[in-house]
Amino acid sequence: MSSRITLKINDQEVTVEKGTRVIEAAKLAGAEIAHFCYHPKLKPDANCRMCLVEIEKMPKLQTSCSTEVSEGMVVQTASEKVLDAQKGVMAFLLGNHPLDCPECDQGGECQLQDFAHQYGAMTSPFGETKRTFEKTYFGPLIEKEMNRCVSCLRCVRYCDEVIGSNALGSMNRGSMHEVGAFAQQELDCEFCGGCIQICPVGALTSRVSMFDYRTWQLKKTETVCNYCGDGCTLTLETVDEDIKRVSSETGVGRNGGDLCARGFFGYGAVNHESRLTRPRIRLNNNDLEVTWEWAYQTVTDGLKAAIQTHGPKAVGGIISAQCTNEEIYLFQKLMRESVGTPHIDSGARFGYINAIAALTDVFGTARLSRYEDISEADCLLVFAGDMTETNPITALKVKDAIRNHKTKLFTVAPYHRKRETYISHLPHLATQHTEISMGSENAAILGFTKAILEGTPSPHTPSDLFEKIKFAVNGISFDQIESATGVSEQAFKDIGAGFANAERGLIIVGRSILRGIEGYQSMLRLAELSILSGQVGRPGTGILALAKESNAFGAVEMGGTPEFLPGFQSLKKEERGYTALEMIDAAARGEIKALYLVGENPLRSLPQKRVAEALKQLDFLICQDLYPTETTALAHVVLPGASYAEKSGRFTNHEGETQKIREAIDPLGNAKPDWQIFSTLINKMKTTEKVPYQKLLGYASVDAVWKEAVMAMPQGWPVLLGSKMQESLAAYAARANVTWLAPEPFVKNGAFDLQVGQSLFHSGKMSTYATGLTTLQDKMMVLMHPEDAERLEIEEEELVQISVEGSDAVIELPVKYSKKLSEGTLFISEHFALEIKKMLPFTTDSTTGVPYGDRGRVSLAKVRVST
Amino acid sequence: MPKYELVLLKNMAQPGYTGSLEAYRQAGGYAALEKVLKERTPADIIEEVKKSGLRGRGGAGFPTGLKWSFIPKDHKGLKYLCCNADESEPGTYKDRQLIERDPHQMLEGLAICCYAIGAERAYIYIRGEFDLGAEVLENAIQEAYRANLFGKDLFGSGVNVDVSVHRGAGAYICGEETALLESIEGKRGKPRIKPPFPAIHGLYQEPTVINNVETLANLPHIINRGAEWFASIGIGKSTGTRVFSVSGHVKRPGNYEVPMGVTLREMIYDIAGGMRGDKPLKAFIPGGASAPMMKPEHLDIPLDFESIKEAGSMLGSGGITVMEEETCIVWAAMNLMEFFHHESCGQCTPCREGSGWVLQILHRIEQGHGREGDIEQLENLCRRIEGKTVCAFGEAEVGPILSSIKHFRAEYEQHIREKCCPFHPNATLSMVH
Repeated sequence: MSSRITLKINDQEVTVEKGTRVIEAAKLAGAEIAHFCYHPKLKPDANCRMCLVEIEKMPKLQTSCSTEVSEGMVVQTASEKVLDAQKGVMAFLLGNHPLDCPECDQGGECQLQDFAHQYGAMTSPFGETKRTFEKTYFGPLIEKEMNRCVSCLRCVRYCDEVIGSNALGSMNRGSMHEVGAFAQQELDCEFCGGCIQICPVGALTSRVSMFDYRTWQLKKTETVCNYCGDGCTLTLETVDEDIKRVSSETGVGRNGGDLCARGFFGYGAVNHESRLTRPRIRLNNNDLEVTWEWAYQTVTDGLKAAIQTHGPKAVGGIISAQCTNEEIYLFQKLMRESVGTPHIDSGARFGYINAIAALTDVFGTARLSRYEDISEADCLLVFAGDMTETNPITALKVKDAIRNHKTKLFTVAPYHRKRETYISHLPHLATQHTEISMGSENAAILGFTKAILEGTPSPHTPSDLFEKIKFAVNGISFDQIESATGVSEQAFKDIGAGFANAERGLIIVGRSILRGIEGYQSMLRLAELSILSGQVGRPGTGILALAKESNAFGAVEMGGTPEFLPGFQSLKKEERGYTALEMIDAAARGEIKALYLVGENPLRSLPQKRVAEALKQLDFLICQDLYPTETTALAHVVLPGASYAEKSGRFTNHEGETQKIREAIDPLGNAKPDWQIFSTLINKMKTTEKVPYQKLLGYASVDAVWKEAVMAMPQGWPVLLGSKMQESLAAYAARANVTWLAPEPFVKNGAFDLQVGQSLFHSGKMSTYATGLTTLQDKMMVLMHPEDAERLEIEEEELVQISVEGSDAVIELPVKYSKKLSEGTLFISEHFALEIKKMLPFTTDSTTGVPYGDRGRVSLAKVRVST
Repeated sequence: MPKYELVLLKNMAQPGYTGSLEAYRQAGGYAALEKVLKERTPADIIEEVKKSGLRGRGGAGFPTGLKWSFIPKDHKGLKYLCCNADESEPGTYKDRQLIERDPHQMLEGLAICCYAIGAERAYIYIRGEFDLGAEVLENAIQEAYRANLFGKDLFGSGVNVDVSVHRGAGAYICGEETALLESIEGKRGKPRIKPPFPAIHGLYQEPTVINNVETLANLPHIINRGAEWFASIGIGKSTGTRVFSVSGHVKRPGNYEVPMGVTLREMIYDIAGGMRGDKPLKAFIPGGASAPMMKPEHLDIPLDFESIKEAGSMLGSGGITVMEEETCIVWAAMNLMEFFHHESCGQCTPCREGSGWVLQILHRIEQGHGREGDIEQLENLCRRIEGKTVCAFGEAEVGPILSSIKHFRAEYEQHIREKCCPFHPNATLSMVH
């Protein structure tokens, strides 16, 4: 049977896919039908009645948004009857609508305005008193002006059908119908901004950009968000050199036009007043604002002096994984070629390297799974209970898979299933959730491995690898695993079988493993688990490791780590330079004398005391950053870099998808795109003559840099999982050293297990400069289960003291209840949590040197108020 | 003695009839259920009901057997029966009496229907205000469960039927069958867009039949006495008896069960005892608030689906509201519109915005602030609501307005011309919204 259907619209024949709605078919036939409630992302609701059309053999007019095409259908979209009906609906919608277009932020891009212009009468027959609502707010960021609402429910439906949050609903009846949060409570949702974006009129608008622009003044630049590794396409909308708002186009980009709070409300960080805008140098303890010429000269002089006196290996560089591919490529070129040092590292060191290094070791590439695989999978095994917080749009893909593709979801995390507020919580949506003890992810992987090994392992597992796994697992009992994880043998077997026997199974892994203890080994074991389950190398399978930073994947691919040259060319152990922390320690020993930091603030990200001691020993510290930090305060040279909004280049997201970012505004003040700074420095390092830096012929554009970077990759770009997988797998199977130690039992001793992690509303430090986001969260809170709080008689918002055994430091924080936490655990979001991180035990990965310091056992007590 | 043989009201007309299970069984109750479970196939029953000509008593008059036959036979999942007991149409109170006074009659019908359509799960969606009805039903259901007339393996047939009562929360729109389904699902009660129809995607997206209380109550009698007997009552395509609720300016308002096809004259002047105070009849509504008004000239029209429709109104829910000479028609129309405006769910534009607009104009006219062109405006607005809404509420709300203008235009004109209501010269009304 053919799936194509031919129908006639306004006497024009058109052939479309079966299941197409008349409104969509009409668009293809060149007839745009006016509508409000219809939206391609949403199921038809046919409530606005604007899109009525005449269909032959049907007595009444039909809503074209809800009517599917059928063979031989004859449709009139502009007959007299149709136009009259549309006029009628317009009259109804405009009857109570206020005449506030001049001050409405939607003016100029309002569907009601546009269709009124097209279909409305010049005068209104409405001569009655208008219905009015008071203006109210959906929480701090969204204004609700019900007088402008056309009750199309797109906001409510988006919140339900797409985000799955259900934070919005309908209230009251008839002409007093309103959209709003349940029982008029203040909105407590993901603040994705989707309701604002999908509103066809000015009923829901952003309070952050209220009255800041008229829509026709906005210049739009499509680019990629830099707040996490999801790689969402968004549009920066600017007036002059100011970002006024962010939008996203339906269906566009890896995110398909959906955004999260950080993407939608987080743009304020770019134009923040505290941005560094001029180069500065420290001269005889004076902090001087200088020209770029002077700054460049100071940098090259400083680097050359260090090389001359101590040799090139006395120089090190660390670059943020929020820089573009081109920048990271140039930075490593500057370090490796111009300076001649192997000591180059990047933000990927803070966990993501564990994924890339392990997956590349096993499969020859880390490009294993894409978002399409999430929807194609029948079963998802997710070791990222906080995915909504860390990677909201990847979490949205998971929600979409469960909802629209009947995908099974197994979550493994130290959380309860319970959802609170209207923020999605994947364990809550899971087919089956495995609640493990905090820090026992590794033991859980062991449990699944053992279960699958004893169940139905894939016959395609290389036999030597199979034997090695079997040998390693042998002698460890499910009882031992249960004592560590709190999960029974049966649960491991059920989920293990569910995953291994699924047609297509995909593993998603987040920071609990990448930044857990020995994350590299955990990733190898997970890779083995996917091989053992036969869930790799086909569509809908593989492993997707979630990146925290927008270009963590690219940072490694471009050569921004000591272990890889561009294109994942693995260096031999003896050729490798130092990792970030090793550089710090080398500085402390006096081995590294000059350090170049780009967007990195080790005083915040690494043990502060250790870093502070080390930085003191340096002869020369260069900081290139967007904002002043604890580290820039110590620098000899501070170079103002440009944010993602002020430059072009490419980010590679955690799928391995490389996407262009585009310059929306000029760099602030005298700041420069980082790639231009590196380009100049590379040239300046070559010459001893004093030539004005503008005369040095650097790269013409980022594209020229990109071309060179790709040429530098001997395996070509990109390396995908292809025919080489088997070869790589066989080699890994032969050399693999599979070890499993019996897991330590999890013993509760009355203390709390604290996890420091990410908040949905922040990403690193940058987001804390965005007013939109600080309005949602501007301080450090400690989350605890209400039952624990009740036991200790602690009220919400009450101050508590947290201390760590073996440290006399104590910090005081207000408490927030959270029912999704397990009893006996605490959670603090890291963005404001400098003090707490100083107290937690710190270790590094034995292979990759990834620093671990997010977890610890702490004591918590009420702050006693002395009377 | 009633003039016509009572069928549905027969038991409760017996002195001392309590409606208990015991009383109902003594009157021959549940024999029909036993008979169908033991002797008849579901297909048989559907055929029998089709032959009887039984049509839905909720308002639309859709042939019941035909409705049942839309349920997919080979459906693998669950099927549902929802009994619509959300009787909220102003002037209609027949289901209430059927529930309160003889609950087992409708429960037996419900069980028969479940068997016929293969549904193991039934819900009775009862109007929120029916406190007593809900209590009576709950008790009756418990009695029936104890006697294994509901639950598992009824009469040893292997057939299971579970039933529970779901109470509404006071929205008229939940009587619309798809809004009713939404409400049972725990959502806001608003009509769904159709297609798909409930027979295919109903409650929880499974095949579902929704039948009115009176419709179900007829089933035991059709089984006991046969389709031919049922079809012999009434006229034309309107078979069986009908319980009419007569209200307004008559001497004896109340529920009366008569064969379909008696005339309105007989209904008002004979059965309901004639006009109160023997005043002249001005207008009447034949089938609940949403049925267009009729005039004395229509008195000899028989009360059956087709004849009333032909005369421009509808038999609807069987609520006959009678208005005498001194009733202000504009006021009456406004009164009805106040109800509809209050009950509009707000889902679709024409009804949400239109009902308030129409009501504002009616308020003005009634208060003596009518303007030239208001009547045309009312007609225009109604035309733009009618046929353009998600559910039949749109037609329902404009019916009384358009019919009152059609039959009593002069009275509207008088209100506007004289700048006051001839019947309520000092009318002051509150603001709409």
